[in-house]
Amino acid sequence: MHALARLVAVTAGIIVCVGVPLPAQWRVQTKGVPMTPAGTPNLEAPAPKLADGTPDLSGLWDAEKRPCDEAKTPLGCIDAVRGVPVGFGNLGADLPASDPNDPTPFQPWARTLVAQRTADFGKDSPHARCLPQASPSAWATFDMQKIVHTVDSVTILQEFMGQYRQIFLDGRPLPTDPEPTFKGYSVGKWEGDTLVVETIGYKENWLDGQGRPLTEQARTIERIRRVNYGTLEVGMTIDDPKAYTKPWKTLTIRLALVLNTDLLEYICNENEKSVQHMVGKGVVK
Amino acid sequence: MRRTMLVWLVGLVLASSVQAHHNFLAEFDPAKPITLTGPVTKIEWTNPHIFLYLDVEDDTGKVANWAIEMGNPNSLIRLGWTRKAMQVGDVITVDGSLARDGSNLVNARTVLLAGKQMFAGSSGGKGK
Repeated sequence: MHALARLVAVTAGIIVCVGVPLPAQWRVQTKGVPMTPAGTPNLEAPAPKLADGTPDLSGLWDAEKRPCDEAKTPLGCIDAVRGVPVGFGNLGADLPASDPNDPTPFQPWARTLVAQRTADFGKDSPHARCLPQASPSAWATFDMQKIVHTVDSVTILQEFMGQYRQIFLDGRPLPTDPEPTFKGYSVGKWEGDTLVVETIGYKENWLDGQGRPLTEQARTIERIRRVNYGTLEVGMTIDDPKAYTKPWKTLTIRLALVLNTDLLEYICNENEKSVQHMVGKGVVK
Repeated sequence: MRRTMLVWLVGLVLASSVQAHHNFLAEFDPAKPITLTGPVTKIEWTNPHIFLYLDVEDDTGKVANWAIEMGNPNSLIRLGWTRKAMQVGDVITVDGSLARDGSNLVNARTVLLAGKQMFAGSSGGKGK
């Protein structure tokens, strides 16, 4: 999904042409991008490599969005004028939890909980309350994220709330009893061109916008591949026996490289005043 | 003049670009559309949502202050808006949805300044 990059580029071009002053971000040009013979960024070019020959995941990334259809989106079009990130509402299948075709292998209590959260329009979502997303759902988010990749680690910087996540590639084992955190404890290793990341030590949280649970028993596997210069794909397996009867695979999340802009500060609690008005369905006036 | 030009240009594409972070339906009722016109009394160019405040006169002449919830600033910044694009005292017309809890709070779908579309869409709006 390169729509945003194109949109920014086109809009910037129009405004530059008529001489209207622009914010500093608009004058930034991402360097080192392969170009086509026509002089445009070649996002289909091969993924860049690190010094050790492994793919370099570094870059500013934006999750693929789809147009929001209120009639088909049980939680409404969440902040979705630009579109809903694929998988944001449902990492399982983009189907409501109540849909009999939803393949998510819920434990009974988890299905009931998700139905309740859906009925409440997600008013208790941690995301709305300026709390961090768990690592799996953070791939399918509204805001951009920057990956800083070295041979020994991957660091993901999220624009939303200035969050960071570390994935260690230095061969260390997972801890035996990690302190639960929102992001969990992650180690990764390469299988060909795919980075396979194993994470444990999650704090109990919502897995997605419909409120699928993620518990402290969760172990997740992410398979991250930079398909080409401009595209990242992430597939995940959720193994959380407390909430699900068996491990299950999420949608594959696709992210597009974003050029010519930077992360911008986004402090969610700067002026959060919406939650007090979130009454959900129960007390509609 | 500069501001008018920016409004014209950005208004063309803004409707597809605003975003924010929470569930529209938990806070607002799309079945309760509302249109408000009045002078801007305060602007909060902040995350996670921009808030505008308007003084709006009703049919009886009584003036009440309304809060208008928008998307987040970063999307607008990337489209060339700045925090100075709108000023206190500007008379704007807001088209949006009323808050479910009955407070003087609206989620804006469009904002018109001098007849031109300005911040369009918002945290939950469809845009146009």
